[in-house]
Amino acid sequence: MSGTHRLQSGGLIDRGKPLSFSFDCESHAGFAGDTLASALVANGVKLVGRSFKYHRPRGIFTAGSEEPNALVELRGGVRREPNTRATVTELYDGLIAASQNRWPSLRHDIGAVNDRLSRFLVAGFYYKTFMWPAKFWELLYEPLIRRAAGLGRAAGAEDPDIYEKAFAHCDVLVIGAGPAGLMATLAAGRTGARVILADEDFRLGGRLLAERCEIGGRPAVDWVAEIEAELAAMPDVRIMRRTAVTGVYDHGQYSAIERVNDHVATPPEHEPRQRSWKIVAKRAVLAAGAHERAIAFGNNDRPGVMLAGAARTYVNRFAAAPGRRLAVFTNNDDGPRTAADAREAGIEVAAVIDSRTGARVTRVRGRHGVRLIDVADADGRTSTIECDALAVSGGWNPAVHLTCHLGGKPVWNDEIAAFVPGALPPGMTVAGAAAGALTLARCLGGGMTAGVTAAAACGFAIAAITQPRADDEGAAVTAMWHVKDSRGKAFVDLQNDVTTKDVALATQEGFGSVEHLKRYTTLGMATDQGKTANVLGLAILAQASARAIPQVGTTTYRPPYVPVSFGAMAGHHRGRDFRPTRLPPSHAWATEQGAVFVEAGAWLRAQYYPRAGEADWLKTVNREVAATRAHVGVCDVSTLGKIEIEGANAGVFLDRVYANTFSTLPVGKARYGLMLREDGFVMDDGTASRLAPERFFMTTTTAQAVRVMQHLEFCHQVLWPALDVQMVSVSEQWAQFSIAGPRSRDVLAKLVDADLGDAAFPHLGCREVTACGVAARLFRLSFSGELAYELAVPARHGDATIRAIMAAGAEFGITPYGTEALGVMRIEKGHVAGNEINGQLTARDLGLGRMMSTKKDFVGRVMAQRPALLDPERPALVGFKPVDGARRLRAGAHFLKIGAGATAENDEGYMTSVAYSPMVKSWIGLGVLRRGPERIGERVRAYDPVRNGDVEVEVTSPIFVDPEGARLHG
Amino acid sequence: MAAASVIARRGKADACAAAITAHYGVTLPTGPRRAASGDVVFAGVGPWRWIATAEGADAAEFVAQLRERLVFVAAVTDQSDARLVVRLRGPRVRDVLAKGVPVDLHPRAFKAGDVATTLVAHIGVQIDMLDDGPTYLIAAPRSMAGSFWSWLTASAAEFGYDVSRS
Repeated sequence: MSGTHRLQSGGLIDRGKPLSFSFDCESHAGFAGDTLASALVANGVKLVGRSFKYHRPRGIFTAGSEEPNALVELRGGVRREPNTRATVTELYDGLIAASQNRWPSLRHDIGAVNDRLSRFLVAGFYYKTFMWPAKFWELLYEPLIRRAAGLGRAAGAEDPDIYEKAFAHCDVLVIGAGPAGLMATLAAGRTGARVILADEDFRLGGRLLAERCEIGGRPAVDWVAEIEAELAAMPDVRIMRRTAVTGVYDHGQYSAIERVNDHVATPPEHEPRQRSWKIVAKRAVLAAGAHERAIAFGNNDRPGVMLAGAARTYVNRFAAAPGRRLAVFTNNDDGPRTAADAREAGIEVAAVIDSRTGARVTRVRGRHGVRLIDVADADGRTSTIECDALAVSGGWNPAVHLTCHLGGKPVWNDEIAAFVPGALPPGMTVAGAAAGALTLARCLGGGMTAGVTAAAACGFAIAAITQPRADDEGAAVTAMWHVKDSRGKAFVDLQNDVTTKDVALATQEGFGSVEHLKRYTTLGMATDQGKTANVLGLAILAQASARAIPQVGTTTYRPPYVPVSFGAMAGHHRGRDFRPTRLPPSHAWATEQGAVFVEAGAWLRAQYYPRAGEADWLKTVNREVAATRAHVGVCDVSTLGKIEIEGANAGVFLDRVYANTFSTLPVGKARYGLMLREDGFVMDDGTASRLAPERFFMTTTTAQAVRVMQHLEFCHQVLWPALDVQMVSVSEQWAQFSIAGPRSRDVLAKLVDADLGDAAFPHLGCREVTACGVAARLFRLSFSGELAYELAVPARHGDATIRAIMAAGAEFGITPYGTEALGVMRIEKGHVAGNEINGQLTARDLGLGRMMSTKKDFVGRVMAQRPALLDPERPALVGFKPVDGARRLRAGAHFLKIGAGATAENDEGYMTSVAYSPMVKSWIGLGVLRRGPERIGERVRAYDPVRNGDVEVEVTSPIFVDPEGARLHG
Repeated sequence: MAAASVIARRGKADACAAAITAHYGVTLPTGPRRAASGDVVFAGVGPWRWIATAEGADAAEFVAQLRERLVFVAAVTDQSDARLVVRLRGPRVRDVLAKGVPVDLHPRAFKAGDVATTLVAHIGVQIDMLDDGPTYLIAAPRSMAGSFWSWLTASAAEFGYDVSRS
């Protein structure tokens, strides 16, 4: 036997497959087909959790994803998942769940004292109470509130499971597999359209699984099975069970979350736990049904009080009795139906309290479960009824959520006393209960029409389909929100513990706008987004402020419709796969050398190459710099952006995108180029070489490679489409190595077949060569200030080439160097890089004003002439050395006149780059200083409060090494 | 596989197409389609923009010849070393690709000979459908080969896969 409250027969559970599970360490039994909630109901477990704020005992309230109460910690260890809704958790063998927000136990919870203090813990309590004294905030209030906040405990360890993202496309997306959704899918599917049917349940049918009803003279579940079989046989219909559509986005995009393996303890190997879908649909039919809502009355939150529709679900679908003696409180025709279903299942019905007769429930008694209810009739006569469960129906709210994600506002419908969809997202239609058609025949008809129309809109010819016979059950409702003569707290929002008093207080204190009400009371702000609470709350607000409900309006509905785990949002992109990693051609070789790597954008670059005995990175970098300047060094510079620019107007194009001139560059020569943004600030720098009269090769910085390519495409496609110019990125095609140092020519002479003499191949030369038998390109470019070359080979030869360079250079003492040494050498030479090209500095600021041609127009020319940018007071680039040579400099330090106070008004600029220079034998820095170039020799303070730095520095030329440039020529 | 980008010079798209027809005997596609002549394939990857590939050819020779044949009508740039190319085949291949390819690959929407340039796991790729096997060719940037492979193998693991070198 499985459970004290399991009905002997009926239900859509598999009595041949018993399952065992535990809740709060107590073992229970259930069946395949159960949810955790239905199994708890079947075992007579009424108390399942404690509420968020008052720690009130709570039971299962719904049978679906809208559940506010039955939130549990599911599974254990690293797979523990807090706030899991028991109502949508499929039961599996060995399932472990625990209640939340209670200590030491669910039955005896210390936090329940909050319920006694509730007089003080009203809406706005935190805003009002923790205002003063202000100094208490950090030490006392915040830690206190933090401890009290939150529900459940995260696993606190890395999730061992796999999550995925995936894309799906269809003509028609049908959301919801109840009677309307199934008919829509069938109607669209028969036309041959590609249809996706998504439903959050593990079984198709929606309310048909929970109601005793007939379609075509047969039990509705038989009809569902028949439709399901027909749909399964259609090759272009895809049925997605356990898949909740969570959001609607522009251009027919829908997000959905598929709980692929939440119904097993551990997903099978290589299978994801959850999959996050992006579905692109030409049309969508929303058939998401409706949510039943509660009525506010005294202690309406006690375990054993549940929505009437949920009670029918437990009885009819799961053969689980919510109680032995059930009372029903209703304002609509669902009440009598609930009583009839209960009686049919052998459950005693204590009373049907129908507010349409003037009767009402004023109070529930029984702290851990319903024992008695106090009832008043139209004449004010009161009585007490004994029962252990109370089914409540306050009417049904169409699930309009997805219709509102693109800004649509629902509209009030008096007939069903609920909001129905207003303006719809493009391509969406709504059918069935979601459209306010709450009865079966209307659902079937509406779904069929919506399916046919949607398929036709995608160009599919209508196929034969007839609407099956079914009746429209009674659905009359007379709105009843709040039992005014209640005794005890009357809850509106169960998950966030918002009562009718809180709503009244908010109104009284001026928070009469529904959006203010929401924020002030937290109504609807829990993970259930107030699906059972919001309309009730705003109806009470309307009453309290003497307005009509449509005047009050609704709050904004936002995605996601149901909670989505972070794992599903990340999918494959976690850890190393957070984003793509780009590896330069020498990566394998550098790894063998024991290089330390650094992330430079997406690239993983060798930062330095430590040798045995070098405990400190600085020692390594100093050695690499010294060896390069004394002998020769090699560095992989393949990460630079590389663009080939071709065409009759290629030179003109470069003249317009660079501040300096390129059309005059001879073939076989390279030139340093400076690129400005339209606003006149420096965007990037690099080189361009002329390979042929109409072909250039441009390099950009590593960081700006993509941006420069986009900029060039924009300039060509939008600004100057008439130019004959073609451009393509070749960043991936070429491996490029910088070989620098006085012996670089000797190394290259062993590798390439060309005359490298100064006359044949001068500084800034470029030519095609054969290197190690491969067609290569050689550039004489120097970032380090040394005699230097860049050798480019097709990327597949990159690995062999770095090894060949190292072998050829061995006799000259060649040393590989990384990005750190590269940085040190460029700072020693006063070359600007990303730290200086920071989007806030102009060419003038960087001492490159003379590069801005006055003979041609170029991007940024006009805006760079703005008076503020020409102000001689603007900080400009200079070098810095500590007066005390032993002191370390820090980038980011601000400059102050000696003796000036550390205030923003006295700020004279800032340090952009620093390095320890083994040549200067002290720290050196580059930075921008007000009128800097005029102040060489002066001393200023480099003030860095963040790192307690306050160093007196001397202003110097930005070029620390070889200012004459003699070393460039070897 | 030798590969080159081909970008028609301004106003020379017709001349470029004529030259390719003359030399390779294929009609240059005007949309995202591929046209093959033996081992040489031209795939449309953008307006007036193609990727030409030649299976088994010497990269430098193929590109030099193409450049010569299209001189003054198109910019031809060697991309033979820029790409990792994988061929995917099997009954579940579309299910694998759905885990990263945002393009609709249903046979009604993407047919043999169709080409797409798109993103997979934040990596820019070119996807060609070769036949109804279905077989797809995917080219990803060389520097991101490791990350692409990580995505591909993770996505295929659920169904099982074999790797072979061509």
